[in-house]
Amino acid sequence: MATATATKKKVRINGCVASAQAAKYADVDVIAAYPIRPYTATMMALAQMVANGELDAEYIVADSEHSQLSIAHGAASSGARVFTGSSGVGVQFAYELYSPISGSRMPVQMMIADRTLDPPGDFGSEHTDALSTRDMGWLMGWSCDAQEAFDNHLMAYRIGEDPRVLLPQMVCQDGFFVSHITGDVELPDSGQVKEFLPPYKHPYPLDPRHPVSHGPQIMPEQGPPLQLERARAMEESVAVIEEVHEEFAKIFGRRYDPWLEEFMTDDAEVVFFLQGAHAVTARFAIQHMREKGLKVGLVRLRTIRPYPTDRVKEVLSKFKVVGVIETNMGLGSVSSGGSLYAEVCAALYESAQRPLVLSFMAGMGGEAIVLKEFYWMTEKMLEVQKRGKIEKRTHWVGFEE
Amino acid sequence: MSTKGTKIPERLQIPFAGITPAPTQEKGQDLFPTGNWRSIRPVYRDKLPPCNNACGTNEKIQGYLDLVKRGKYLDAYALIKEDMPFPSVTGRVCYHPCEQACNRGKYDEAISIRAVERFLGDLGQALPHDVVKAGKPNGKKVAVVGSGPAGHSAAYQLARMGYKVTILEKSPKAGGLNRGGIPDWVLPQDVLDREIERLVELGITIKTGVEVGKDVTWDDLKKNYDAVVLAVGLTEPNSVRAEGENKDGVHYGLPFLRDIGMGTSKVKLGARVAVIGGGNTAIDCAREALRQGAVEVTMITVEAHPQEMPASPEDLHDMLEEGVELMHGRAMTAVVGNGKVEALQLHPARFSGAINASPITVNKEAAPERFHVDNVIIAVGQRASLGWLPEEFKSERGTIKIDRFGRLGNTNFFAAGDIVQLGSGQPLMVVNAVGDGKRVAFNLDKVLRGESLEPRTIPIDVIFDLNRMNMTYFPHFPRVPQEMLPPTSRRKTQQEVIQAFTEEQAVEEAGRCFSCGTCNACDNCYLVCPEPCIARPSRSNGLYKILVDYCKGCRVCIEECPTGCLEGVPELDFDTGVVRMDTAFAISPGLHGRQAEELRNLGDRAAKNI
Repeated sequence: MATATATKKKVRINGCVASAQAAKYADVDVIAAYPIRPYTATMMALAQMVANGELDAEYIVADSEHSQLSIAHGAASSGARVFTGSSGVGVQFAYELYSPISGSRMPVQMMIADRTLDPPGDFGSEHTDALSTRDMGWLMGWSCDAQEAFDNHLMAYRIGEDPRVLLPQMVCQDGFFVSHITGDVELPDSGQVKEFLPPYKHPYPLDPRHPVSHGPQIMPEQGPPLQLERARAMEESVAVIEEVHEEFAKIFGRRYDPWLEEFMTDDAEVVFFLQGAHAVTARFAIQHMREKGLKVGLVRLRTIRPYPTDRVKEVLSKFKVVGVIETNMGLGSVSSGGSLYAEVCAALYESAQRPLVLSFMAGMGGEAIVLKEFYWMTEKMLEVQKRGKIEKRTHWVGFEE
Repeated sequence: MSTKGTKIPERLQIPFAGITPAPTQEKGQDLFPTGNWRSIRPVYRDKLPPCNNACGTNEKIQGYLDLVKRGKYLDAYALIKEDMPFPSVTGRVCYHPCEQACNRGKYDEAISIRAVERFLGDLGQALPHDVVKAGKPNGKKVAVVGSGPAGHSAAYQLARMGYKVTILEKSPKAGGLNRGGIPDWVLPQDVLDREIERLVELGITIKTGVEVGKDVTWDDLKKNYDAVVLAVGLTEPNSVRAEGENKDGVHYGLPFLRDIGMGTSKVKLGARVAVIGGGNTAIDCAREALRQGAVEVTMITVEAHPQEMPASPEDLHDMLEEGVELMHGRAMTAVVGNGKVEALQLHPARFSGAINASPITVNKEAAPERFHVDNVIIAVGQRASLGWLPEEFKSERGTIKIDRFGRLGNTNFFAAGDIVQLGSGQPLMVVNAVGDGKRVAFNLDKVLRGESLEPRTIPIDVIFDLNRMNMTYFPHFPRVPQEMLPPTSRRKTQQEVIQAFTEEQAVEEAGRCFSCGTCNACDNCYLVCPEPCIARPSRSNGLYKILVDYCKGCRVCIEECPTGCLEGVPELDFDTGVVRMDTAFAISPGLHGRQAEELRNLGDRAAKNI
């Protein structure tokens, strides 16, 4: 094992730079860039690496996010390992490309540093940008700190490029809470990374020596089999995701549950359910409340596509009340709040022991969710537990008594 | 797991992510038939280029220019020889109506077609054996009376069809007007000699010094041959009916040139010479006069302006360069002199109607001018000598009376060339006589084979409108000029005035051709088709094929066709190759599976083997 001779180093970097470092360790071939805060810091870091000769890659600055993703698509078609990224409305502007990239089974990787969608301009983190593309056939999950972001990038390449999968990946982190907050990150030995992540090989790249046609027109009858195969790839990724997390733990020594992180849930009766950076504050809040004897815990969703339906059902069925912290907008949706609630409820529907589920609209517009808001939400969950039923499904945290 | 238990039937097993093997030149792409989207189908429909249309013998001009462009000179020569027995001659003497019709003339400058034709003709001259062979003998004998352009052409085409042809020529040397009407400095005798040799190579017998009506009679011809082509031309010079035309020093245009051409001329010109007439022969006479020792040559025409003269503008220009003077709006009314011409009496004159086709009105009221000359050459046209012809076949115009197929009544006699065209409106030019001879030869063949003669009824689509082509593909580019001898030196020599193209010049000039309305295998459709569904087994004119299973009718090929040979035809006009909605969904079961197999087998095969 390469670990024996590994030369790791610890650096203090923010999430954007951690993503750039991951791209460097993954030895990407093509970087398609177009600036938008907060992702810009990642493309700046990569530009510097290329300029310094640390990374040998084609660095292409596009004229918009649409071109940026088109470049990524084309580069991946020719057999290149591609890294790109964006934030907020930039993610939206490239929307046309998401389905074609997954449909042509190109394992492009896209870093997302979340940013609230307009209007008006707001740099703060809200997950709506990436979440709005969640059904486009991309693997997707959130990191909650810089180290996890670095690790998720490497794992996502390995998963997406697996011949059983061949799907693009969105590796998301909260803008500012992760992207611009400095933390300790352990950078691995590059030999370890080479062992973990072999060179990318697409089975039928565009190659003048072996000409093939990509993306031809099809007849209606030919649509369903292609869709079915894309669905199969998404489902087959489940096993691959688990294998890869296992192997990652073996090589790098950091073990993540690929689907759900549970924090202080052993005897918990009420739990928060969220994804991303607010888990860090939540952990402190829970510790404080535990000291007061409240049976509260945290379940953090790490991978939202493919959605771990059975795991969510199995884990959340243990509790009495689940409080979903949305950090995204689902205007007019099932809960008239965010979109996480609906999927949690759907997963729990077949459970024999369904918990009561609340939706908390918190962390909107990039506002921090502070400790006392976690206390307030815990109180709401405990009230529901006591009452045994839900009177108000969705709460706008900070705007209610 | 939604996909658990799913199975894709073999017929729908599509290659990974729809990635398909690359289309081939032969088959195009072989997957995803999208032809049913089409409402317009691209169709290759070659039109007639205006040059081919204007040519008196309908040479395939666009065709041979295209071949020259690609360096296939011998093929080009063979193509020109289908319609033209002596491109070396017309490459020098033709009045090139093709160039006047050339669409490029509306754009920058017309293609120098005649120069390219001469390049090919000279190439043919240099061949030890001609590419044209006599047809399989059919045992039939044809006499061709006259060896000028029309007779030469008819004899040539008949020999190619297998007839045993005998040419009867009155003069001591064959060639007719080509020899007797065209000066050496336009058409050197050896060039013509070589073309006459080519006729002999085809097995044609040429009997010179045989005059119809004198040495052979109508009845001899009728008795000894299965058919006869009369191409005797116009041999008798017109007079201007002026007083004193019989004086010494008065010459007539065609005999003047003919005797020089035959080497039998005894003419000695003085220093001052006048030429009466404004046509091409008059111009040739004026220029020849310089070469025969004249110092001052003046051309006297009834036409009031140079533009009205029925002559080739280039020849007029070249003549003026050589120093010939023009005098317009006058008719010669008398030749003055004591036994020998000393001066001409001139009166103002004009055509009473159309130029060169109406009686001349001479203003005798005006004071006559006296114009001192040593010689005068009268070149105001020719007429036929038809004493030997049965009366029933004589027309009022003084020509042989024929039907629309060139046939004399119900006989096996045919006539072609100036002897039938005089006064018909068709210019009496070499190339027109060649075309006449060719058409008459084919008609004669039909008659002898017992086929009926039918007039052509197929409509001809000639491109005259540049908007029917895609002009963005043609940058402006000037015409390649032909080198010429300097005017001062050439007026005293029999050397050819206009010089031949080099190979590079010929290729460059041919490369300017628009190929109006005709596929020239430029590959543009093949390259722009986004599908791609244009198959190209080999790069050759007429070999592109639209794969209708796949063509969506996007019109890109039609719009981007430089020559305008691709047309969009409504799909509903077709009943073959149609992909309608009811068949589109299962056009060929198993197609996809076959492709998947093919893709799996791609492996590491070299691109050319895939």
